[in-house]
Amino acid sequence: MMWLTWRQFRAQGIVAAALAVALGVVLLITGLNLAHLNSDSGGATCHGARACATAANAFINQLPGTGSVPVFFGTIAVIYLAPALMGIFWGAPLVARELETGTFRLAWNQSVSRARWLVVKLGVVGLAAMATAGLLSLFLGWWESPIFRAAALAGSDSAAVTRISPQLFGAQGIAPIGYAAFAFALGVTAGALIRRTIPAMAVTLAAFGLVQAAWPLWIRSHLITPLREYFAITPANVNELAIINNTQMIVRHDVEKPGAWVVSDQTVSPSGHLFSGPPTHACLSANASPNACNASIAALHLRALISYEPASRFWPLQWTETGIFVVLAMALAAFCAWRIGKRRLA
Amino acid sequence: MIWLTWRQFRAQSIAAGAFVVAFGVVLLVSGIKIAHAYSSAGVPGCHGAGACANAATTFIDQLRGSSTELIYYTGIVIVYLAPALMGMFWGAPLVARELETGTFRLAWNQSVSRTRWVVAKLGLIWLAAMATAGLLSLVTGSWASPIFRAGQLAGSDSVSLDRLAPQLFGAQGIAPIGYAAFAFALGVAAGVFIRHTIPAMAVTLVGFGLVQLAWPSWVRPHLAPQLRQYLPITGANVNELVVENNQFIVRRTIFKPGGWVVSNQTVNPAGRPFGGAPLQACVSGPQSACNAAVNTLHLRTLISYVPARGFWELQWIEAGIFVVLAAALTAFCAWWIRNRQLT
Repeated sequence: MMWLTWRQFRAQGIVAAALAVALGVVLLITGLNLAHLNSDSGGATCHGARACATAANAFINQLPGTGSVPVFFGTIAVIYLAPALMGIFWGAPLVARELETGTFRLAWNQSVSRARWLVVKLGVVGLAAMATAGLLSLFLGWWESPIFRAAALAGSDSAAVTRISPQLFGAQGIAPIGYAAFAFALGVTAGALIRRTIPAMAVTLAAFGLVQAAWPLWIRSHLITPLREYFAITPANVNELAIINNTQMIVRHDVEKPGAWVVSDQTVSPSGHLFSGPPTHACLSANASPNACNASIAALHLRALISYEPASRFWPLQWTETGIFVVLAMALAAFCAWRIGKRRLA
Repeated sequence: MIWLTWRQFRAQSIAAGAFVVAFGVVLLVSGIKIAHAYSSAGVPGCHGAGACANAATTFIDQLRGSSTELIYYTGIVIVYLAPALMGMFWGAPLVARELETGTFRLAWNQSVSRTRWVVAKLGLIWLAAMATAGLLSLVTGSWASPIFRAGQLAGSDSVSLDRLAPQLFGAQGIAPIGYAAFAFALGVAAGVFIRHTIPAMAVTLVGFGLVQLAWPSWVRPHLAPQLRQYLPITGANVNELVVENNQFIVRRTIFKPGGWVVSNQTVNPAGRPFGGAPLQACVSGPQSACNAAVNTLHLRTLISYVPARGFWELQWIEAGIFVVLAAALTAFCAWWIRNRQLT
């Protein structure tokens, strides 16, 4: 059964290995260059916050010229796409092709029981999918470690170096492993239910895409309750002031939470309600002086209520999310096993 | 032949139609909200550069962080992905499925000649792919037009509002139509060569992806007529100053709202690329002394850029090239199908 699985998986496995090796080579070459730059700018051996921040900034400023930015975002795109592609090309045809071509009559009529057939096929290919995703994530983690270390030293709060932000989170750590398992199981289930390969591929793509789009928006922030914090809004830290229709005023402040994922940021009045106006008289008048306007806003005693996940929650969120997706994958696999076991060989 | 094409294409077209309608509804609902915010921020009737810039900035700030921003980026992703998906799901199985299952022996042995079979199937679905891509581009483009107009009024330097920027260019105007034609033809050609559906889908995806990745960096800069401009670098307007080992990097980042800065090089007064030893004042000394020292170097920035008004010319050129490539691939496929032995 192991040999059979390998023989039927051979083409896909070789293609995936070739692509992974190609990406690995690119990351190796550019990553060694980055590590070299980092040690050159003294990032590795600096002492003291100031010296380290200076060294880190020197390193970061050189990054655009090294062509690292496209490599970084390209690799992240590949890591986001990989689970979907594995679900489509490895998962969907697994059972659907047997059903579509009728070869299930041969495959499930052997001395090897259907359960064993399914367990070995799902297990081997599923583990291969998880291993591929994990390997890609490991490559990226190694490659980006100098950049993230420098960003932390320089106190940067750019979204491009915040590991826990929605844009990066799914391509880091062990999350891609969970996604790969889920996408693969989703593909197999779609194939078992729809019984045609290409529609199963389309459905897997659509379903997995929806889950990936909806998850960071609506579910991830509820996995661990975010921390809430109030900030006083003073004229110094207002970075957005807009008056709309002369009846509404939007005041937003600068959020400084390096490394954290700010889930929501609302401006509230002293009574705790959402503040949306009306505009103060000093800001509304035609010849408003900025000082008078700022003073009037200070007098409103507004506060910013932000709910955020701090950087320290990165690994707990990763484990939680991966765990949930792996459990979902197992549930789907169990459902497939039940469904295939029930099917009559007519 | 038209009925047959429709009957074999029915499922895919219904799926695509349902998706386009669903996406269109989302855009419609969101578009009404944007139009409302646009007029209430006072952008349509503003007079004067300053007032217009203020109104435009107010409008854009209101949209930041809301669902509108999410729809904006999702729309871009969808318009970029649509040609690839159509190539994979419509193009690759077209001929490959006939070859794989052996039904080509029936399909190409009818009274309808093979040429007519190819023309009808390839032509009709080609048109459907181009129409779908064009519709998606039109719908997202008109949804986003207030945002782009406000971006230009506000003189924004955000690359996510520059129509010509590589990240956005391929998702607007008529370029997606060209991409869809090419991806579809690539899918059919892959199916013809590989003769198995799923590998053909994989090859189409990878091939089209590689072309899309390489195109903006290596081919597109040569398509558009570019303008060159020299701008002075002073200590005050330097954006990037790096002193390290024996390297001295001085850069000034230039923005061309709505345009595309293809290359940006720092040159010395003689016009050669600047690569000098670090100035002593910048290695050890206060920022003001370093600024003054940079002034004495009389450096300039040489940028090569495509201005905003070159957008449509570049769109037509690019769409045209991709359509020609697609036609060439299709002609090859037609020739191959005509001459294949029916064994």
